[in-house]
Amino acid sequence: MRIWLCLLASPLLAQPDGAALFESRIRPLFEAKCLSCHSSGSQPIMGGLRLDSRAELLRGGSRGPSLVEGKPADSLLLKVVMHTAGPLKMPPGPKLKDAEIADLAQWVALGAPWGQSPLVTSKSQKEKHWSLKPVLNPAIPSVRKPAWVQSPIDAFILSALETKGLSPAPPADRRTLIRRATYDLTGLPPTPAEVEAFLNDKSPDAWPRLIDRLLASPRYGERWARHWLDVARYADSNGLDENLVYKNAFRYRDYVIAAFNKDKPYDQFLREQLAGDLLPPTGDLSTELERWTATGFLSLGAKMLAEDDPIKMQMDIVDEQLDTTAKAFMGLTVGCARCHDHKFDPISTAEYYALAGIFKSSHTMDHHKVVAKWHEYVLAPKPDRDRLAAHEARIEAERKRITELTSAQNKSLAAAAMRRVGAYLRAARLFEQSNRIQLAAAEKESEGIVLTTPTKTSEKPFLAEYTVQITRPGLYQLDLLNEEKGGGTADIYLNGVWQRQGLPPVQNRAASPESGGWSVALVLNLNAGANTIRFEHTRSIPKYGKILLTPHSSPEYPLSIVQAASRFDLNPGYLTQWIDYFDRSQAAPASPLYAWEILDRDAPLSAWANPVAKLFPSPLTTPDAIASHYEQLFLSALEQGKDSSDPGLKVLYTFLHEKFGPFRAPANVRRYYPEPLRDQIKAIESTVAELEKQTPDLPRAMGVREAAKAEDIPIHIRGSHWTLGKVVPRGFPNAIETAHRPAIANQSSGRLQLAEWLTQPDHPLTSRVMVNRLWRWHFGRGIVASVDNFGRLGDKPSHPELLDYLATRFVASGWSIKAIHRLLLLSSTYQMSSAYDSKAFETDPENISLWRMPRRRLEAESIRDGIMTASGGLRFDTGGSLLTYKDRQYVANTAKGSSVDYDRPIRSIYVPVLRSSLYDVFSAFDLPDPTMSNGDRDSTVVAPQALFMMNSSVMLNHSRILAETLLNTPNLEPSARIRLAYERALARPATNQEIDAALSFIASMQKEWNGDGKKAWQSFAKSLLASNEFIYLN
Amino acid sequence: MNPHWNTHLNRTLSRRDLLRVSSIGFPSLAFAALDPLAVKQPHFPARAKRVIFLFMHGGPSQVDTFDYKPLLKRDHGKPLPFARPKVVSGETFNLLQSPWAFKQYGQSGAWVSDLFPELAKCVDDICFVKSMHGSNSRHGGALLELHTGSDTFIRPSMGSWITYGLGSENNSMPGFVTICPTQSHGGANNFGSAFLPAPYAGTAIGAVGVPARDARIPFISNTETPRPIQRREIDYSQTLNRRQLELTGPDRALEGRIESFELAFRMQTEAPGLQNIEDESPLTKKLYGLDNPVTEDFGRQCLMARRLSEKGVRFVQVSHTYKWDQHQNLKRDHSQNAAEVDKPIAGLLRDLKSRGLLEDTLVLWAGEFGRTPTAEGSDGRDHNPEAFTIWMAGGGVKPGFSYGATDDYGYYSVEKKVHFHDLHATILHLLGLDHLKLTYRYAGRNFRLTDVHGNVVHDIIA
Repeated sequence: MRIWLCLLASPLLAQPDGAALFESRIRPLFEAKCLSCHSSGSQPIMGGLRLDSRAELLRGGSRGPSLVEGKPADSLLLKVVMHTAGPLKMPPGPKLKDAEIADLAQWVALGAPWGQSPLVTSKSQKEKHWSLKPVLNPAIPSVRKPAWVQSPIDAFILSALETKGLSPAPPADRRTLIRRATYDLTGLPPTPAEVEAFLNDKSPDAWPRLIDRLLASPRYGERWARHWLDVARYADSNGLDENLVYKNAFRYRDYVIAAFNKDKPYDQFLREQLAGDLLPPTGDLSTELERWTATGFLSLGAKMLAEDDPIKMQMDIVDEQLDTTAKAFMGLTVGCARCHDHKFDPISTAEYYALAGIFKSSHTMDHHKVVAKWHEYVLAPKPDRDRLAAHEARIEAERKRITELTSAQNKSLAAAAMRRVGAYLRAARLFEQSNRIQLAAAEKESEGIVLTTPTKTSEKPFLAEYTVQITRPGLYQLDLLNEEKGGGTADIYLNGVWQRQGLPPVQNRAASPESGGWSVALVLNLNAGANTIRFEHTRSIPKYGKILLTPHSSPEYPLSIVQAASRFDLNPGYLTQWIDYFDRSQAAPASPLYAWEILDRDAPLSAWANPVAKLFPSPLTTPDAIASHYEQLFLSALEQGKDSSDPGLKVLYTFLHEKFGPFRAPANVRRYYPEPLRDQIKAIESTVAELEKQTPDLPRAMGVREAAKAEDIPIHIRGSHWTLGKVVPRGFPNAIETAHRPAIANQSSGRLQLAEWLTQPDHPLTSRVMVNRLWRWHFGRGIVASVDNFGRLGDKPSHPELLDYLATRFVASGWSIKAIHRLLLLSSTYQMSSAYDSKAFETDPENISLWRMPRRRLEAESIRDGIMTASGGLRFDTGGSLLTYKDRQYVANTAKGSSVDYDRPIRSIYVPVLRSSLYDVFSAFDLPDPTMSNGDRDSTVVAPQALFMMNSSVMLNHSRILAETLLNTPNLEPSARIRLAYERALARPATNQEIDAALSFIASMQKEWNGDGKKAWQSFAKSLLASNEFIYLN
Repeated sequence: MNPHWNTHLNRTLSRRDLLRVSSIGFPSLAFAALDPLAVKQPHFPARAKRVIFLFMHGGPSQVDTFDYKPLLKRDHGKPLPFARPKVVSGETFNLLQSPWAFKQYGQSGAWVSDLFPELAKCVDDICFVKSMHGSNSRHGGALLELHTGSDTFIRPSMGSWITYGLGSENNSMPGFVTICPTQSHGGANNFGSAFLPAPYAGTAIGAVGVPARDARIPFISNTETPRPIQRREIDYSQTLNRRQLELTGPDRALEGRIESFELAFRMQTEAPGLQNIEDESPLTKKLYGLDNPVTEDFGRQCLMARRLSEKGVRFVQVSHTYKWDQHQNLKRDHSQNAAEVDKPIAGLLRDLKSRGLLEDTLVLWAGEFGRTPTAEGSDGRDHNPEAFTIWMAGGGVKPGFSYGATDDYGYYSVEKKVHFHDLHATILHLLGLDHLKLTYRYAGRNFRLTDVHGNVVHDIIA
């Protein structure tokens, strides 16, 4: 602020000409620094703010007016350029010069005069980003060496290579090819027999037939579904805050595997995942269930299930769905636009909320309470589903009856007790005073009566009864001797009368041998003749080593709460809570019961800081008088109710009804219910239990359906639902153009229309993004390297025409993914070797122009599956779930890790993906974070991977199995066993030199292993599987 | 290896390649430029070289530990005389006084409750921040905020950022180690590297529920293969690798992988040694409370942390996992929790000090939030991200100092408020890193630990 104040004070500028200032300084500043984002031509208009007219400037954007005429200090425009408006700092990039800021300040101070001619910006006609332009069907380029061209793809690649003066690598040999294609398409190594057959197939179409065979294998879907699952951020648990099991997520996974195997057209695949529930019915049940399952795509995301703010939770889930959908199908990051207009891509905040409205109008969660519950479809015919719904409604109704009965009874119990506050006060005091006496535990059995064996025990109720003959009636101290665990918290009854609730933990003699081992329980008043002492427990029969009754000499003794309550005919539950209240309060001056609490304390009544104090005449001194006075006051408080005009009575009324006050429902409240009511509740409970047992166990799948109400939602300013802007109709971003834009009807969410819009043949992104993904998964790098980002911040395509060619072919083939596989794999490009060429390396070290086939590290699943296949241990069980958890159960939570059998030799795609507790093999080998959509994978080389090769159970088990396989194959020379090992692991025979080296290694290892030949072969197998050649594809 | 290839490699390195061959430490000179964990110079002279983070999972109560509130005692049982936050985790009742007495300790006169008798003797080395606040009232969100700065997106953990910024001083160990970490409330995301390259991720030793004496790095050893035999197996595999390399021509990944086996072998040798505390003197073990079953487990974690720090591991986290969440049984369970950590933490501070390590080791003690001064039920407190206390020691913070304040009851942080972002900015600053400059380019933009927030709290720096 100092800047313009100084300038205004300067005499030189005392009478500046506002219009001239605008033309000379302000107009150029706006045109150069502001208008590209803040004018009518901006795509989008950032923050809804336009600076191309004075009126617009005064109206402002989503943050309100940009300037206050004559008041630079109050103008947002100035704060923003001075970086004093919090995080909002403009323009992006370097801060304006002080002189420019001073000009602006002065101009505002002068009332912000405007000029005649419209403001223009050189950037107002910004060129459309390449990925948003229509897909063209490009001409196939001509090349100098047409002989190399087997497919149009080769023409695009070769022509680019030729421009750079490069030539393609020579073709790969057949062994390399079959290993490459088999891993690529099925994620597994070829068997030695498959290699042999391919080598011997001399027909010209051997290669295409190999590709067809691999594409037709069920193993293909198990490999390629995994790629899609990365994009779909697939996981079997929620992760994030509450890691609950997605027990039924596997159905979506199996759906994806099947979709790839049957080459489901991609447009259909997309429609089913976004709107399977809304597609026109076919009348076929299995189709309907499959489509529901497909919508699991929208539900699988990681969610904050324990978000306290339900609206924020809902919007977070919507955001996650929107972000995943946009990234997966369009390669766009739209998440940024939740809080501000996208800085780089053409998506405004308004357009974000237009899309968000679609997901907000869809039903993903059954509720958003903590812990929130995601929706699941019941995968069964309608009559079964109806029966299930009716059954669940019945259970709910029974539960409601229990709630009604208990709350009514709790209320009436409390109402009666509230009228007897005086007695509760006296009983609490009696309890406290009597317990100042400490009973010493028994030391000698000889002084009392020892009981060892119960006269009766039973289960349900769990009890142990001791009958004892007493000749001298009177007070007896009861001690327990516990020699084993258990029986700690039993209730004690004497002759059918309740004496004590629970017991303190009875000490265990074995644990503390220095003590006598006796624990005091209580003092009982025994009659002459037979007395029955009963111990009752809720879950097991109470067991004690011995029970000792010793005469208690003094008339004073510590009472149990139950005994104290019975003196006044009170409810021991409420009395417990009164005692608890006094214990916590410790005569706090704010306590309404202060006058009572200071009875045995050294505290002045004058310190009482509570309106109740006014209701106490000072001469009250005896406990009885105070208790009676309190009781009267509480009765008056009850009479006057919560709106009493007396502040003291109001406090007392509130006290009686406090949620955690002494008259809340006590623990185990049902023991105070009348017998018939207890029986009635028990009967309903057993009905509920019975009904629950009968609940049909129908298969379920996570999925999304239409919400009860479809609605447009307002812009959430800076992403917060506490600050709402204008409502935006549901729809699609304007900058992405298609000839046909499906209209969203008022009563539908718009998911179906979104899916239809995305699968328009002329949608510029859908086909490009998917063919680029397919390319990436074959060549290790996309034509657009940022496979998930086709926006301005993404990479530019290395071969733009090729990308469009593939996109065109994709749509023309009826969106067939297998057609694209064939197109790619039948090319010379794919069949190049990965041989090094120093000249090409010099020119293009990153191999962006594809002068050779890149060498690629196997992915996590292929490493595990490859090791298990080489050993012969892998089983091809398909589908289903390995999880032993129940749906929505907490997994890998504190205290225990997950209990998944990760070593089971099945394909890795069937191994559960538990978020935030990933299988360590997956996390070591770069499985992408399953909370985010990801079409790319890193291929790191880090030490933990080497540790896996050296020490993991997978490696140890399967190197052993491989050794056994080698040794158990009959009629083989040792050299042939080495050859077999190489064929199984590397798809090639060993050279003679390698055989000699291996045999001498094994021989020397056998000595190291003290003559154990199998161990020596295992060492060899380990070394081979750990080698670079095993985990890299040439 | 053909030296000619290396010349090539160094000239044509791209970030992508760096990523691809990134590994935990390359010792050979040729690869030094490739090593993502090579020691990097800070932006300005650092006060701290390394961090030990003592994480109290669950949310210790500030008003029962270090933030003494006499009015809470006076007004026990009264309603909270001001409004609660807009969004709270659950319903709480009237004010609840602390069951523990507070006393002043040391020359600094810091208030500490009876929960921490041992730590109380160390207050003159400690810098308390009593005005912490966060934005999320649930464990999951709050843990992620504390560890990564974001409760909305998956972001790199602060340990990852620091290791990315400074590298590691030990070429046989990862730069960021977390001992017995939680698997809930964000789990591995709390020590993950997100978009930063994998070597910056925290390496877990053990996991929650695993006793510290059994905690191990994944795949760190096997019981089947004697070490000399394993060495020979690796040698044989490396022979195959080198022969293949002759055929393929230069390939950074293949060469990097050869190195990675050597590093793994060193790590396998070094890590158990660092974990094995048997060579520590009986006096040291006693100092950490290893002679007492109550303190043995956490004491072992703290001692392991000192050993790792001493050997140049940049960021070591120790977790007292998910124990401090006393919605009920506050009296019983906070007593138990404090008893488990009090002696070990005091032992760690004393040990670091006597070894001269405290000077450049920053010790951070924090939970994910505090607790309400109002009662939940009759003997509990609910989550409270509006105010809580953390403390730091060593590494350039003012010793015997207290910063910031809460209101009369400790519900809101009111004076010199410090948000997680500010704490992160300050920790980076102590390590010689400017939080505005420590960036990583991802998805087209530069990311920071502090996102668009964070102010260094200069007042707590000595």
